[in-house]
Formats: sequence, structure tokens, C-alpha cells
Amino acid sequence: MPQHAVLVLVLPLISAAVIALFLRRAGAVAATVSVLAATAIATIAVILALHGERFERSFEWLRLGGFSVSLGIKFDDLAALMLCVVGVVGLCIHVFSLGYMRDDAARARYFGGLSIFMFSMIGIVLADNLFMMFIFWELVGFSSYVLIGHWHEKQSASDAAKKAFIANRVGDFGFLLGIVMCYWSNGTVNLTALGSQHVYSTLIPLLLFCGAVGKSAQLPLQVWLPDAMEGPTPVSALIHAATMVAAGVYMLCRIHVLMVPEALNVIMWTGTVTALYAALCAITQNDIKKVLAYSTLSQLGYMVAAFGLGSLPQLDERGRMVAMAAGVGAAMFHLTTHACFKALLFLGSGSVIHGCHHEQDIFKMGGLAKRMPLTFVTFTIGVAAIIGLPFLAGFFSKDAILFLAFANNKAVFAVLAFTAVLTALYMIRLWKLTFLGTARSDHAAHAHEGGLTLTSPLVVLAAFSILAGYTGIYPKVFSGVFELIPEAHGSAHTIIFATSLAVLVIGVATGYLLYASGPADSLAQKSPGLFGGLVALKNSFDVAYNYYVAKIQQRFAMLLNFLEQIFLAGLIIRGLAGVVGLFGLGARALHTGNLNAYVYWFLFGVVVLWGFATGALAF
Amino acid sequence: MNALPCTIYVSFLGAVLALVAGMRSPGTARWVALLSALLAWGIALSAAVNFVPGPGLETIVNHPWIPSMGIRYHLAVDGISLTLIILTGIAATAGILFSWNIEERAGEFFALFLALIGGVYGVFLSADAFTLFVFYEIAIVPKYFLIAIWGSTNREYGAMKLVLYSFAGSALVLAGLLWAYAAAGAHSFGLHDLATAATHFSHSQQLGMFALVFLGFAVLAGMFPFHTWAPTGHVAAPTAASMLLAGVVMKLGAYGCLRVAMTIFPTGLAFWQPTIACLAIIGIIYAGLVALVQDDFKFVIGYSSVSHMGFVLLGLAAANAQAVSGAVLQMFSHGVVAGLLFAVVGRMVYERTHTRQLADLRAMPLHRLLPFAAAVFVVAGLASMGMPGFSGFPAELTILIGTWKTSPLWATFAAAGVLVAAAFTLRVIQVSFFGSASIADGRKAAPAHPLPPITLAEKAGALVLVASTVLIGLKPDLLLDWINPALQSPLFQAVLKGGKP
Repeated sequence: MPQHAVLVLVLPLISAAVIALFLRRAGAVAATVSVLAATAIATIAVILALHGERFERSFEWLRLGGFSVSLGIKFDDLAALMLCVVGVVGLCIHVFSLGYMRDDAARARYFGGLSIFMFSMIGIVLADNLFMMFIFWELVGFSSYVLIGHWHEKQSASDAAKKAFIANRVGDFGFLLGIVMCYWSNGTVNLTALGSQHVYSTLIPLLLFCGAVGKSAQLPLQVWLPDAMEGPTPVSALIHAATMVAAGVYMLCRIHVLMVPEALNVIMWTGTVTALYAALCAITQNDIKKVLAYSTLSQLGYMVAAFGLGSLPQLDERGRMVAMAAGVGAAMFHLTTHACFKALLFLGSGSVIHGCHHEQDIFKMGGLAKRMPLTFVTFTIGVAAIIGLPFLAGFFSKDAILFLAFANNKAVFAVLAFTAVLTALYMIRLWKLTFLGTARSDHAAHAHEGGLTLTSPLVVLAAFSILAGYTGIYPKVFSGVFELIPEAHGSAHTIIFATSLAVLVIGVATGYLLYASGPADSLAQKSPGLFGGLVALKNSFDVAYNYYVAKIQQRFAMLLNFLEQIFLAGLIIRGLAGVVGLFGLGARALHTGNLNAYVYWFLFGVVVLWGFATGALAF
Repeated sequence: MNALPCTIYVSFLGAVLALVAGMRSPGTARWVALLSALLAWGIALSAAVNFVPGPGLETIVNHPWIPSMGIRYHLAVDGISLTLIILTGIAATAGILFSWNIEERAGEFFALFLALIGGVYGVFLSADAFTLFVFYEIAIVPKYFLIAIWGSTNREYGAMKLVLYSFAGSALVLAGLLWAYAAAGAHSFGLHDLATAATHFSHSQQLGMFALVFLGFAVLAGMFPFHTWAPTGHVAAPTAASMLLAGVVMKLGAYGCLRVAMTIFPTGLAFWQPTIACLAIIGIIYAGLVALVQDDFKFVIGYSSVSHMGFVLLGLAAANAQAVSGAVLQMFSHGVVAGLLFAVVGRMVYERTHTRQLADLRAMPLHRLLPFAAAVFVVAGLASMGMPGFSGFPAELTILIGTWKTSPLWATFAAAGVLVAAAFTLRVIQVSFFGSASIADGRKAAPAHPLPPITLAEKAGALVLVASTVLIGLKPDLLLDWINPALQSPLFQAVLKGGKP
């Protein structure tokens, strides 16, 4: 089985290499190669998971005396679950891309990028130590750069790609320091070894968390994610639903043994604030993909908060109270269900955008339910799942988080419940504006359903969005994760159930009644002040960062450059050269070439010498 | 038994032959130069195959040279010098491939080029401070002519500045070495003898001598604030010369710091350590920020070289096994990557578009006009940013890990430097290669004539360099297995222990 795991890691790399070397001009072949690789990955991933064998293998990569970095695979239930999510959702997105990117001029680069992205992501999933995880972490950053900047001739796209890369690098800065510090404190970065023994430190988990803040786009590094919508829509689905942004949460779950209460507290509040902030931003967006982007941010906030909420006391078999890592269970559960329904929503939006000839403004859509019935039905399932309609996937995972919050921290519970109201509100707004009412543009009026490659992934993901919440149907092989999902009993169960129902009803009703499927934003009309405030809130980070980059960093760099040119290269260097030059000039002035002058100098010298000789002059 | 000294002789001989051949035709001179460089590289590689890594320098040649002064022609090799010798072979071969289009006085060009290379091989092989110094001077002189005759922008200024800086550095080194030589009783210039004698020097003597020698070499390694020769020199130099300058000449400085200053005066290092680290960190971040706002493509690369050499100096200053190994690995990595960057900028782009202004390049969709150059530059840029899979990653990683052990604060600042590197590299990749014609706004949009295609020689040169950075990126142990044992020698152990025996 280990060789299968290696295979699943190497396959996408081979696919990417073949495309880069031989298929740059053969887009159709490249697409086929990439999709075949994705199919194989998904198949092997599922086989590996179901086979039930769990193992660890590693070999040394870099050795420096007592210090070594190894490459290895740690395949436990957590990795198995994540690998299946990445593989299966990734496959759906690959198939969807076949149709969506059919007419793209740089199709080979696109599919090569998808393959290298899958390689990087699977590397993170399988990594058995933090250094290896960091290697693939960086590669994910790079491949997302390639994919987001796919349409690089558009200035906004190449800027967005750069922003994503730099924001991720900022997070990686902390992550790397955390890894280095972890190494020197514990003598190892192997996940299993750390699990059995590690020193108590608040700084290490917080530094490592920086990496997750970058990749999972938590406050204050969330700015790259909405901009990254400049990439092709299937890329958004891949990066922002199932893989890259989930990597941060996954990484936290991988290192949860290192967590200490202080660090968890910071993580919990970061996630909670992100969830609320992003939900508030989502209400103001009119680009179909940007609404989904902020919704992703918000849901990631849920996962991070869930992780930060930490453990629950539980009775073990022998009747003792032990801490159960409920945070890990809840976060991974929500990650799994979210991967399904968010990929569905993104691909649904891709289908809409494709059908409307690349119109992305929801105020120019409307009435698509009739023209694109399959997209409508599947998208509706996705919306129902994300807002937590009972008995769909999102309902179960969100309840698990709410219960955990209810048990551990009431303030977080309140914020998350309010966020759930907002979630229902903005999703219903999106859904109503897009699909109901009448067409508000020519593109929307002539919208059409895409081909089989576009619709079949929607159907598959819709099925997952319904089923993924039933933990009972998962094979026993994932029990290492699913046993950790917190479950409410008795009165707590009633409270949680009532809360989530109330939240749902309030959110949906407000959204449905507030927004008319018209050409203008109802909230902006009815309450311009509130709407303006939300827009300002959304822009605040970008404004601050742009100010920093343009006004502080750029000016500082210009100043340094000025100093470099003027002082170091100019005044000091030329000044020194000038002083030497002056000596030269002075010396040259003495060499007049005039015989008389030399005779006078000679006489002067004789007089001086004579003076010394007679003692008339002395030192 | 060990043919490594032949790398020196082959290069010098090749220089003479190229000069003669240049009188017949430029083509002959090229081939003579390429064959000599390949032969020297081949000798180095075959020596590397048989190399058994061990602690301490393995003497190859040891003859009295000026017996009355105790100066010996002493050549020796260890894992560190071998790493840099291989690098020299790679840089020399690639440099000649990228100079294939030189027609003007080709014989002289390649003669000077090979003379420089011979000097560099000599420095890396010397185990006698005086011999090392002589080779060091031999390597400096041809640079002036290469830049002043075949250079471009502001070439006299660039060449003169570079040579003045180099000689000022040499003067400091010479003064420091003579001081140590005299204080030790004036009977030997052998590195080992000097180091042994230095243990009896007074504390203040050690500090002074170390400062002179280290500073002298660090000038050539581009240490802030003595770096300003580097960007102007790089920009003025013809492509092959900037490749050598960044690729191996800056390494001469760093190598001198490590091999001469640090091993002879470990106590001096212990005292000056924080100062050097501080300057190195300032250099990393300062040069990175300056690179961020350059308008000239080549200046960006020039400052990025200074920034990357800051990592080398930081690794040396941190003075523990990981950091120093990382520094040597970074010397190799930067030599290859900087060579690649300069090759793309100077040869592939500038000699075709005749502009290095980023604003002009932005208006040309170069990724479509020169796809090969774009691909190579992206690879070089990734390597330069320290992406996994390329040699820069293990190098910077080991430096950071090692530095953290000495001082977490230094490591934090250095890691911030990696961030700046990402910023200026991405900027220059996007602006130069992935701009679009739509933003022409009065600039000369697409070039009037179709750009000449990339030649076979350029492709071969690029391939050599890309293969090197990828190979070491994937398997850094190839070099680390040489470097590490070398650090077990008593001299280096004294350095790593901060001068305490």
C-alpha cells in the first residue's frame, strides 16, 4: 500500500511534467492527460482509504550532521479522509474544466497547472513532518499563483495572483519560523514523534498558525481570497473549496497535539471574527463569485473557530473522563461537507457564468431557473446545504460546531449563530437574484445549459452535498476522525436544534422578503447608511494594505534607493574619489613643465636641506 | 594522483591559445575557449567522483616557492573548495556559451575570460595565504578589461569602481595578512601555520587582523555598505562577465572570509559576529527593497545578488555547522541562479530588444516573442525566491535553521528578507515577461523587427544552469556530503566553537 500512496503523489507530477515538456501546444491532449491523472488519483485515494491499512514511511532527504530533513508519508485516518476529499472533488473539477476551458488558448498551461496543484496539495496531505509540509505548502502557493494568474494579460488577474502569493508568503514567514523553532525546541518535526513528546510552548503553535492564516485566508491575511476570483471559475472551485484554503485547517488538525489553551484561544477568536466579518462583506457583493468567495472565508472561519474551541470531556471505555479532540472532529467534518457543497456552488456559478457568456453580475442575471433547470436544482441543493437546512450536509457539520461552541464558549456561540443568520441571508439573496424573477440582461435572457462535462460534476457534487453529513454512511476507515465529532445529547441537543432552526428561518425569511429580484440592491436602497458601512468595512483592509504598500513600503524603498544613489554611490564614493583627485590635481599643478619653476623648486629644496644640515631647522 | 591543479593550468593555457586563435578567427577562439572550460570542468568533475570527503584540507601540491620568506605553492582541497570548483566549471562553461555571439576582439575576450577563471580555480585550491592572494589578484585584473572594453552602460565608471573596490579590499587583506605573518615570526604563510600561530596572538591583535582580512574579502562578497560596486559593475559588464562576477567572483570574497579570515582568527570572529550579522541582515533587506523600485531590469538582478549574498554572510556570521554549510550551499546556488538571471537579462533579452527599461519591456509581450527566455527566467526567478525543488530552498532553509540556533532574532529578520525577495522577483517577472501590448501608452510597443530566435548555444548554457539548480534542489546531499565533513576539521571546529579550543 505505501507504494500506492507514493503513486498517488507522483502521478500528478508526472502529468504536469509531461504537459510542460511535450504538450504545450496540444491543449486537448494535455487536458486528457490531466483528467486521466485526476481520475487515477481519485480512484487510488478511495482504494487506499477503504483498504484500511495505515502506515508511515520516510527517507532522509537532507542531512547536516545531527540535523536531517526527511521526506515521508504519514497515512492515518485524517490523511485518508483528506486525500479522498481532495481526490474526489478534484476529479469533479477536472471534468468540469474540460467543458469550461474548451476554448481557452492556453489550455495546456491550465491543465498543467491543475496537475501541479494536485501534486502540491497531495504532498501536504501525506507529509509526515513539518519541513516536508512546508515544501508542499510553498508549492501550493506557487501553483495557485499560476492558476489565479491564468489570464495574466488582464492586469487585475496578474495583480490578484501576485497578491495571493505574497499574502501566503507573509503567512509562511511565521510558519517557517514556527517550524524552525519547533525543531530546535523538540529536536524533531516529525508529526508522530511530536505527538509522543514535545515541550509546552505557546509561541510555536501560534507561529505555525500563521501559515494557516495565510493559506486559509483568515483575518488579517484574508485579502487575497476575494481577489483570487480573477482566476477561471473551476480554479476558484478547486482552490477555494476543497484544497488550498482547507490546507490551513488540515494543517492545524495535523499539529493539534502541539496546541495549548492560550494558542487555541487566539485561534478560536481569529476564526470567529473572520466568520462574522466575511459574512458581513458577502452581503454587499454583486459578483456571483465574490459572494461565494466571502462565504468561503466565513465558512473557513467556522472551521478555524471549531478547531480553536478545543476539546470536550468525554468518558472513555473504562469510565474515566478524558479530553476528546472535538475541535479536530468538528473542523474536519465541516471541511468535508463544505468541500462538497462549496465546490458545487462554485461549479454552479461557473455553469451560470458560462451560460451567460461570462456575465458575473447577479443584478444582470435573473430568471435563470427556467433556462438552466439542472444548474438551478443543483445550486439550490448547494444553497440549502450551506445555510444548514435540516438533513443536508451543512446542517450536521454546522450543528457540531455550534454545539461545541455552546459547550465551551457562549460568546463564540452567539457570534457563530448570528453569522449563520447572515449566511442564510446572503445565500438566499444570491439565489433569488440569480435564478428567480425575470432576465435583466440579454446574456441572461439567452442563457443556456452547458454540455455533459459541465453538468455531470454538478449532479455528483449535489449528491455528496446531501449525503456527506451522515456520518453513519462513511466506512469505518475514517473512524479516527469521525469519532471525534461532538454530538449533542438531551437538552443541549434541543437547544442547538432549535437555535439552528430559528437561525435558518430568520435568515431565509429576511433574505427572501428583503431582496426583490430586481436590478438594484434592496438593502442599498432601503438603508444606504448600513450598506455603505458594510462596504467600507469590506474595503478597510485593502485600503490599509494599499496604503502600506504604496505610501510606506514603496516610499521607503524609493528613499533607500535615493540614499543609495546619492550618498553611497554618489557623495561618499565620488567624494572619496574627489579627495584623491584633488591630491592628484595639486601634485599635477607642481609639474608645470616650466624649467624655471623646477629650478626654483630645486633651490627651495637645497635651502631646506641646508637648514636641516646646519640645525637651523629641526623637528 | 589528483588532477585538480590542472584546472588552473588548463584555463591559463586555454587563455593563451584563445588569444592566438583569435588572430585567425573568432570562431576558433570560441571553440578553444569552450573546450578549455569543458576540459577544466571535466577534470573537476572526475576529481569529484573520486573525492573522499574528510576533515581537513587534502594536500595535492606543496612546493617551496619563495623559501626565504616561507612562501609555498601549496594547493589542497576539501569539500568546501570542491563545491566551489565545480561551480566555477559550470559558470565558466555557461558563460562561454552565452558569449558565443562576441565578434569584436573575440580572442582577447576569451583569453581574459579564461585567465579570470584560472585565477578563480587557483583561489579555491590554495592552502597558502600568499598563493591565495596572488591568484585573487590575478582574478581581479581581467575583470577591468572585460567590462571596460566589452561592457555597456557607463562601462568605464562601472569597471573603474569595481577595480578600485577590489583593490581597496585586497589592500586590507594584504595588510591583515602581513600583520599576522609578522606577528607569527615571519616564517610561513600557510593557512594552517598562521592559524596555529594566531592562537598565541593577543586578543586585540586577533580582533584587528580579523577585521582587516574579513572586511577586505567581504567587500568582494558585496557586504553592505561596501556593495555599491556590485550593481553598477554587473550592469556595465558584458553578459558573461556579469555571470562570472555574480557567479564566482562574489564567491571569492565569501570564500576568503570563510577560509582565511574565519579559520585563522576564530576569536576575532566571535567578537565581530554581531556586527557582521547585522550588516548582512541590513544588506538582505536593504538590497531587496532597493531592487523593488529599480527601473532597469539588470539593476534588479544586481541588487538581488547583493541581497542573496547577505544570506551567505549571515550564514558565516552565525558560525554553526548548519549555518556555515547552508552558506556554502547558498554560494553554489546563488552562483548558478544569478548566472541564469544575468544570462536571460543580458543576453537573451537585452541583445534582442536593446532595452532594459522595465517600462519598455512591459509593453512587449515577451512571453510570446521569447517563450524560451520567459520559461528560463521563471525557473530562475523561482529558484531565486527559494522555491522548493531548486537549490535556493535547501540553502536558505539551512541558513535560517542554523541562524536560529545562534539568534532567533537574526533568523526572523532574514526570513523577512525572503519575503522581500518574493516581492521584487514576482514584480520583475510580471513586468518584464508577462506585460501586455495594451499598455503601450506611447512607448515603443512591439519591436519593429521580429526578434532573432534563441540560439543553440544559449539553450545549451541555460540547460546546464537549470539542470544544476534543479539537481541540487532535489538532492542537496550531493554537496552537503562534501561540505559537512570538511567542517569537522580542527580549524573549522575552532570557528564553530567561537575560538575556544
